[in-house]
Amino acid sequence: MHRAAQRRIIIPFLLPALLLLGVFFLYPLVRTVDISFTEWTRTGSSSYVGVENYTRLFDDPGYVNALKNAFLFTLVGGCMLFPVAIAIAWALNQRIHGERFFRFVVFAPVVLSAAVVALMWKFVYHPTLGLINPALEGLGLGALARTWLGDASTALPAVAFTTVWHGIGIWVVLLSAGFERLPPDVLEAGRIDGAGEWRLFRSVMLPMMRDLFRILVVLWIVQSMQAFAFVFIMTNGGPYGSTDIVGTLMYRVAFERYEFGYAAAMGVALVVIMLVVTQIVNKVMKRDELQY
Amino acid sequence: MSSSTDVRPAPAAGPPTPPTARRRGRGGGRRRGSDRAPFRRFHLIIYLLLGAFAFSTAGAFAWVFNVSMKTNNEFIGTRPWTIAEDWRWENYSDAWSAANVGSFFGNSVIVSVSATVLGVVLAAFAAYPLARVPFRGSGVVLSVFLLGLMVPWMVTFIPLYMTMQDLGLLDSRLGLALVYATYNLPFNVFVLVGFMRTLPGELEEAAAVDGAGPVRTFLRVILPLMGPGLASVSIISFLQNWNEFFYALVLIHSPERMTLPLGLFQLGQAADYGTNWVTLFAGMMITVVPVLLVFALLQNQVTKGLTAGALKG
Repeated sequence: MHRAAQRRIIIPFLLPALLLLGVFFLYPLVRTVDISFTEWTRTGSSSYVGVENYTRLFDDPGYVNALKNAFLFTLVGGCMLFPVAIAIAWALNQRIHGERFFRFVVFAPVVLSAAVVALMWKFVYHPTLGLINPALEGLGLGALARTWLGDASTALPAVAFTTVWHGIGIWVVLLSAGFERLPPDVLEAGRIDGAGEWRLFRSVMLPMMRDLFRILVVLWIVQSMQAFAFVFIMTNGGPYGSTDIVGTLMYRVAFERYEFGYAAAMGVALVVIMLVVTQIVNKVMKRDELQY
Repeated sequence: MSSSTDVRPAPAAGPPTPPTARRRGRGGGRRRGSDRAPFRRFHLIIYLLLGAFAFSTAGAFAWVFNVSMKTNNEFIGTRPWTIAEDWRWENYSDAWSAANVGSFFGNSVIVSVSATVLGVVLAAFAAYPLARVPFRGSGVVLSVFLLGLMVPWMVTFIPLYMTMQDLGLLDSRLGLALVYATYNLPFNVFVLVGFMRTLPGELEEAAAVDGAGPVRTFLRVILPLMGPGLASVSIISFLQNWNEFFYALVLIHSPERMTLPLGLFQLGQAADYGTNWVTLFAGMMITVVPVLLVFALLQNQVTKGLTAGALKG
C-alpha cells in the first residue's frame, strides 16, 4: 500500500529534471536536425532548402579539409596516446615505489581546464619565448627548433600532443584497471614456464586485453573527432587551415558567417560519420572471445 | 553513440566503493613493503619512463610558476629556466584586479557552485523514482536521460544559442549555470540510479510501517544513505563546470560575466598582441592551483569519477 503513495511522487520528482533536459538538451537536439534543412540569412529569417546543405558539404573544400584533419588528428593523437598510456599503465601495475605520487602526476593534467592547458602549451611551443626551442638549443640540437604552431607540418601533431598530454591520465586509469583484471594464475603459469616480463607483456597481457583496446579505440575516435578547445585556442585552424577541424569550422561558419543551417548540417554529418567509423572499427577489431 | 553502450558499464556501473576500502597505505603514499615486488632490473625502465613523464609535467608547472614571478622584460630577455630575480607577488594582484581574474574567479565560483548544486539535487530527485518505484515508462525516461550521455553536446550549440536568446538567458550567468546543470544531469542520474538500486528494498517498507510518507522516506531515509554517491557526483560535476570552455564561449560575451577558462582565453588573445605576459601566467596559476588542491585532497574519488565521466562518449 505504500506503493500507491509512492506513485504520487513519480511526476513531481521527475519533472524538474526533465524540464531542464527538455529545454536545454532535447529541444535543441531536435532543432539541430530541423535547422540543418534550412538556410539562414544574416537578418535571421530562414527558409526550407531540403538536403541542399548536405549536398553542399562534400563539395566544400573547407569541410573536406576539416574532416581530413579530424581523421589525421585522431590517427596521430591515437599513435601518441596508446603506446605511452599502455606503457605507463603497465608500469603502474608493477607494484613500485611512489605509485601514488606517479598516479597523481599522470592524472593531474586531467583535472585542469582544457583552456588553461591549451594556453600554457601555446607558450611552451612559442618559438622564442617558449620552453622547447631554448631547451633544444641548450642541448645543442638547435637545428630541430622550429615555429611549432606556425608550421603547417608540425602544427597538427603539436596540438594533438597537447590534447594527449592533457587526457592521458584517464586512459592510464582505464588500462590500468584492465591490467589489474588479468587473471593472476595465467600470468603465474607464464612465469613458471620461464617467460620474461617483456614476453609476458607481449604474448599474454596484450592479447587478453584486446577487447578493452577495442572499446578504448572507439572511445578515442568519438572524443577526438569532437575536439574543439585545443585547436581553437592554440591555432584556431591555422596555419593555412592545416589544423582546421570540424568543430572549429562549424563555430566559424555559425558565428562569423551566420550560416546556421549549414553549420548544423556539418554537425549532424559529423555525428553520422562518427557512427559509421566507430561501427567499422568495432567490426574490424572484434575477435572471438578468448578462452582461458 | 551506439558504441558507448558497451563502454559504459565498467567503473560507473556499480556505486563507487567506499573510499576507505581502496585507500591503502595513505601514509607516505606507499604500500606496505610486504606486497611490493622485490626490485628487479626491468624496474629501472619503469622508473625511467614514469620519471620522465613526471619530470616533464612538473617542469611545465614549474615553468609557469617561474614566469609568473618574472617581469615582462625578464620573460623576454632571459632563458626560460632562469629563476626569477624576485618574488613578484604583485603579478598576482595585478592579474586579480587589473586583469579581472578576480572577477572571472568569482563568476566561475558562482556558476559552477550553483550549477553543481542544482544538477545534483535535481538528479537525486529524478533518480529516486527511476531506481526504486516501478512504473510504466520508467525505462523510457531513463533512456532519455542516458541519451544525454551518448549524443555529443557540441552539436546542439546553434539551437541552444537561439533558445537562450529567446529566453533572454544569453550572456547571463544564470543561463550558463542552467546549461551546465542540464549537462551534469545525465551522468548524475545514471550514477545515482545505480547507487540507489543497491540499497535494500525493505527500507521503504519499514519506513511506511512507521508511518512515513514517500517524500519523508526519501529525504530522511534514502538521502542520508547516499552520502558517498552524492559526494562523488558533486566533485565530478564541479570539476567539469569549473573547467568548461565551449559553452562559456558560445553563451557569454561580456567580460564582466566570463568564467575563468573563457576569461583566460581572452587574456591570452590580448597577450598575443600586447606585452603583458606575466599577468597571464599569474592568472593561469590562480586557475590551476585550487583545482590541483582539490585533486590532491580527493585523489581517489576524482580519479574514479572522472574516469567514469570520460566514458560518456
